[in-house]
Amino acid sequence: MASNDTVLPAPTRAIAMLPRRRSRMRQAVLLARRNKLGAAGVLGMVLILLIALLSPVLQRYGDNQVFQTANPEFRATATAIEIARNPRLSTPFIQDRFQAPDWEHWLGTDQFGRDIYARIIVGTRLAVIIGIGASLIAVLSGTVTGLISGYFGGRVDLIVQRVVDAVQAFPGLVLLLLLVSIMDQPNLPLTVAALGFLGWAASTRIVRSAVLALTASPFVEAARSYGATDLRVMVQHVLLNVLAPIVVIFSISIGLYILAEASLSFLGLGPADKTTWGKMVNSGRNSLDQNPWESVFAGGAITLAVLAFNLAGDALRDELDPRLRGR
Amino acid sequence: MVVLWVVASLVFFSTSLLPGDFAQRTVATNLELADYSEALKEARRLLGLDKPVWERYATFITNTAMLDLGTSYDSRRTTWVELGRHLPPTLELGALITLVAFSVSIPVGVLSAVKQNTWVDYVLRTFAILGVATPVFFLAILMTLVVLKFDLFRIDIVGSPHLWDDPAGALKLYSIPAISGGISGGAGIMRILRSQMLEVMRNDYIRTARAKGLNDRTVWVRHAMKNAMLPVLTVMGFTIAGIVSGQIILENMFNIDGVGRYLFTRLLIRDFPPFQGIVLVIAAVIVTTNLLVDIAYAWLDPRIRYT
Repeated sequence: MASNDTVLPAPTRAIAMLPRRRSRMRQAVLLARRNKLGAAGVLGMVLILLIALLSPVLQRYGDNQVFQTANPEFRATATAIEIARNPRLSTPFIQDRFQAPDWEHWLGTDQFGRDIYARIIVGTRLAVIIGIGASLIAVLSGTVTGLISGYFGGRVDLIVQRVVDAVQAFPGLVLLLLLVSIMDQPNLPLTVAALGFLGWAASTRIVRSAVLALTASPFVEAARSYGATDLRVMVQHVLLNVLAPIVVIFSISIGLYILAEASLSFLGLGPADKTTWGKMVNSGRNSLDQNPWESVFAGGAITLAVLAFNLAGDALRDELDPRLRGR
Repeated sequence: MVVLWVVASLVFFSTSLLPGDFAQRTVATNLELADYSEALKEARRLLGLDKPVWERYATFITNTAMLDLGTSYDSRRTTWVELGRHLPPTLELGALITLVAFSVSIPVGVLSAVKQNTWVDYVLRTFAILGVATPVFFLAILMTLVVLKFDLFRIDIVGSPHLWDDPAGALKLYSIPAISGGISGGAGIMRILRSQMLEVMRNDYIRTARAKGLNDRTVWVRHAMKNAMLPVLTVMGFTIAGIVSGQIILENMFNIDGVGRYLFTRLLIRDFPPFQGIVLVIAAVIVTTNLLVDIAYAWLDPRIRYT
């Protein structure tokens, strides 16, 4: 019997001689070896996402649960005069404030006797929701306006670009402070929306410039010439070709939003009813000299999370669209 | 100009959306209910807050066009006077931050590029990546902790000494915010500078410079760095915006009576005329910087011609 080589028609043989397509797993490993920092970032990001997802399991205690111990000095029968002399007589429990890390409280406790570890874990979930939520809003809205502005040009483009210019002429934090002040007590959706609005300007600009480069290209003209509607050309021919920069902006700016939200919370204008890292850094600041734990752990959490998301975003950018480097 | 008008409108309408106004935040709340609402009405009338939004907007825009940025509800001083009072500490701190940012990022960026893919590069890049990811307030807290731990000096945040009157005291107060703000700002600059250096070093004229026998240092500084600095200039507007944002946080942390903290407290007590005015001034500075950068760019790089 003849060997396979003689039986197969020529083109098939040529394909068979090509190196076998590498499996996805193998590709990922090669990629990771080439870009070690990026791989570390992706790993960190996956870890953070896991912590955020599993936070109810991992946090051990409630984030607002106050730990206290019975007060040995407490006397229910103490008279008003005795209490005036020694106020500790009147309180049956003392909060376990400012405990150093131990087995019961892995990262210690804060000024109200709350478990810092539990609060960090809950803060992880908030940071992830805020980072991804804001980035999603920014990218979706920026894609729509950038697409319209770049595709139609003319007056629409002019108006949109002036608004973008105006937003970018603000120092980001001032605009954020202004936006979240719309409510007396800013809540989570408002914070996410404000961050998203800030990011809208930048993503509009990037999508627009990508779209501008495309609308002049022959295949768009071809699509137009066979009578495709504007909407069809925009979505099927332009949008699908600018997806790479869109995905890159999305992933690369998550870290920025986490950082910005931390600044807001640090200044006391973050989501009012939620436990966030920025708030923790701020509350720990009052007792830095004796109890740096809260500030240091929460600040470290912010840094690590932003670092992981930034590295992962950078790696994705280098793979998808290296031209965006430096933006 | 158009941009500034949009900024002005954006600031005006978003401030008028905020709940509560200055009258409500400051009129004594211990009055009887009837008296309270009377006093509130009176205060609003005095401040002109009882007029409809469109009327106030028209006055605001015409006044702003004539460079009249209004008067603080709180101190009854004009915005320009208030700006003059709060500008010196901000400029001092801002100058120090910029100084630190550039004196750290330029040598580090150049070094990291010329030693590409050596351990020097890796260490410096790691620091830069960390610098970008660390919130400026956390850096300041870490530095404060170090100062406290080793008892280096007392951080006196009561009263703010000026650089000119009391250099030693001012430097003590400003050292932590200046260095942490500088590192925060410098990390970004360093990353841009490094990648630009790498790009520039691949150019033919660098090879030519080497070929005519110049030593490494001259090539790096005279030929490569000069050209790599251009993109750093381009982001100058963003750098200024970043420093302003950082100063709001740092001035609040260290109780420095500068523009950043003033702006923040104006927002909290709803004293809008100076808030709107100062935001506009900052926006004008950023817009002008961007314009100047564009002009300087064409001047520095003769290949670029605007038509």
